[in-house]
Amino acid sequence: MRFGGLTAVDQVSVDFYAGELVGIIGPNGAGKTTFFNTISGVLRPTSGRLLLAGKNLTGQRPHRYAQQGLARTFQTPRVFTDISVLSNIEFGLKFAGRRRKRYWFWGDETSVPWALRDAGGILSLIGLAQVAQLPAAAITPSQQRLLEIGMALATRPKMLLLDEVAAGLTEGELEEMARLITRLRDELDLVVVWIEHAVGTLLRYVDRVIVLHQGQKIADGKPIDIIHDRVVIEAYLGDEVLELGQDLR
Amino acid sequence: MTDRQTLLRDLIVLLGLIGWALVLPHYGSEFAVSMALTCLMYVALSSSWGLFCGSTRYLSLATSAFFGIGAYTTAIGLGQLAWIEVITLGSAVAALLAIVMGAAVLHLRGTYFAVLTFGMAELIRHAISYFEKSVSGTVGRVLTVVPEMNVLYMTVLSIAVVALVLSILIRRTRFGLALLGIGADEQRAQTLGVNTPLIKVLGFAITAAVAGAVGAAMAVRWTYIDPHTAFNPFIGFQTVLIALIGGATTLWGPLIAAIVFSVLAETLRLQAPQIYMMSLGLLLILSVLYLPGGLASMRWETFRDWYRAAKAWLKERRYELSGDKERDKQRARRRRSV
Repeated sequence: MRFGGLTAVDQVSVDFYAGELVGIIGPNGAGKTTFFNTISGVLRPTSGRLLLAGKNLTGQRPHRYAQQGLARTFQTPRVFTDISVLSNIEFGLKFAGRRRKRYWFWGDETSVPWALRDAGGILSLIGLAQVAQLPAAAITPSQQRLLEIGMALATRPKMLLLDEVAAGLTEGELEEMARLITRLRDELDLVVVWIEHAVGTLLRYVDRVIVLHQGQKIADGKPIDIIHDRVVIEAYLGDEVLELGQDLR
Repeated sequence: MTDRQTLLRDLIVLLGLIGWALVLPHYGSEFAVSMALTCLMYVALSSSWGLFCGSTRYLSLATSAFFGIGAYTTAIGLGQLAWIEVITLGSAVAALLAIVMGAAVLHLRGTYFAVLTFGMAELIRHAISYFEKSVSGTVGRVLTVVPEMNVLYMTVLSIAVVALVLSILIRRTRFGLALLGIGADEQRAQTLGVNTPLIKVLGFAITAAVAGAVGAAMAVRWTYIDPHTAFNPFIGFQTVLIALIGGATTLWGPLIAAIVFSVLAETLRLQAPQIYMMSLGLLLILSVLYLPGGLASMRWETFRDWYRAAKAWLKERRYELSGDKERDKQRARRRRSV
């Protein structure tokens, strides 16, 4: 991905597998969000390809990505503030998450996980059922972050891209968010890709970590291997991260 | 109010207005009918404008171009085609133009979009002037066969009703929701699966189709048409002003404002044309400052809030002007020094 003369993300090649929770870390300006924008269709990559379950999505419009099951959240919550929390969830269900009606008397959807069948299910999954009727502007920022995830889930994704969903949360909220994310992976069988600056928490939950630095992938592996990687320590993590070692798999 | 109740209310209000407009020619004077005609024209123009531009927040100044295209279609086609056909053709040509124009400029936002639509409207106006002058060697066109006033009134009324019904219905569809989503956060709507380029072009085309139909119908009001009357940018501005003052996102706002305006226009324009223009500007400033949601967002609470704000302001002034504020300050100073 290039902007004029600046190469923001340079030949990063990654495979994501079903049911995997992948973390992406890297210093500020490493190109994490640009990488996300590129693989979610918001930006058109200058070169490279994107395959989702064998389908080539390169150069398509973002709504095609959403329809094919690739959902994302944004770094700052971008919920529709004028309408209620419930309607925010319903928005996704009415567009990318819409179920095509093939014929009359079309029975219950069986291919979709129970929790994602309607807006109520999604709300209770992310734990916002009690504020469903409030306008989205009236809920707290940490609830808005949850709502972002809910809106993404409403598109019935196969793959969920989370861009710093836990930024600005307290220690407790952060743990809760991490547990929610692992639950999403386990219960809904999603591929979850998670960008976060709270490296300690991230490393404890994810199955695999990708480290970006100055637009390049410098490491890709299990958390325990990453924290012992010399290149990563030099570029980003520093020595003190080794103390995390005992909590990790 | 539930969704059904709002729909019912809207339909009842619409029916009442239609009935009122239908009987007006029977008891009203010629002046009243002509005023109602102007009013209906602006109802159609500004509610269709609000339908797209209000919900998506794409400020289009191209209304006069679509209006003029419709008017010119009538000027050229009225001899050969029937009245209904002319109106349909005018609206189709305008919609087609909107699709081309939309595909070119709808990826721009904010000021750029507004300026570009205005520029395109001017471009079309001058292109047609040029065409008149150098190709067909005319300045304008004279309409010889003109339908009766009654037919014209009914046509404009039905266009206005179509525009309002479209606004009522589209609000309740996925298309309307997509337009709202684009207005709130276009990129977010896109990542939730809205095909934004298609939706925007479609919405723009609907607005243009209504404007084109209005133009095609209203053309017969002037018996002589030249580019400068047909593509008068003032029509586009006034549409935008009416929609903004009435409340562009609301259903009834443009209608309320259109009525207020045409009454203002007809009463003031003859006696004091400058005052009319000034009052337009003043109303816009006041509504932007004190009623950002437009006339339609006025509730009893709005008046109560204004009353309270005014009272608080008066109290503050009295406190200041009576010298109490100064005395309190001195007292506080004395207490500090002791």
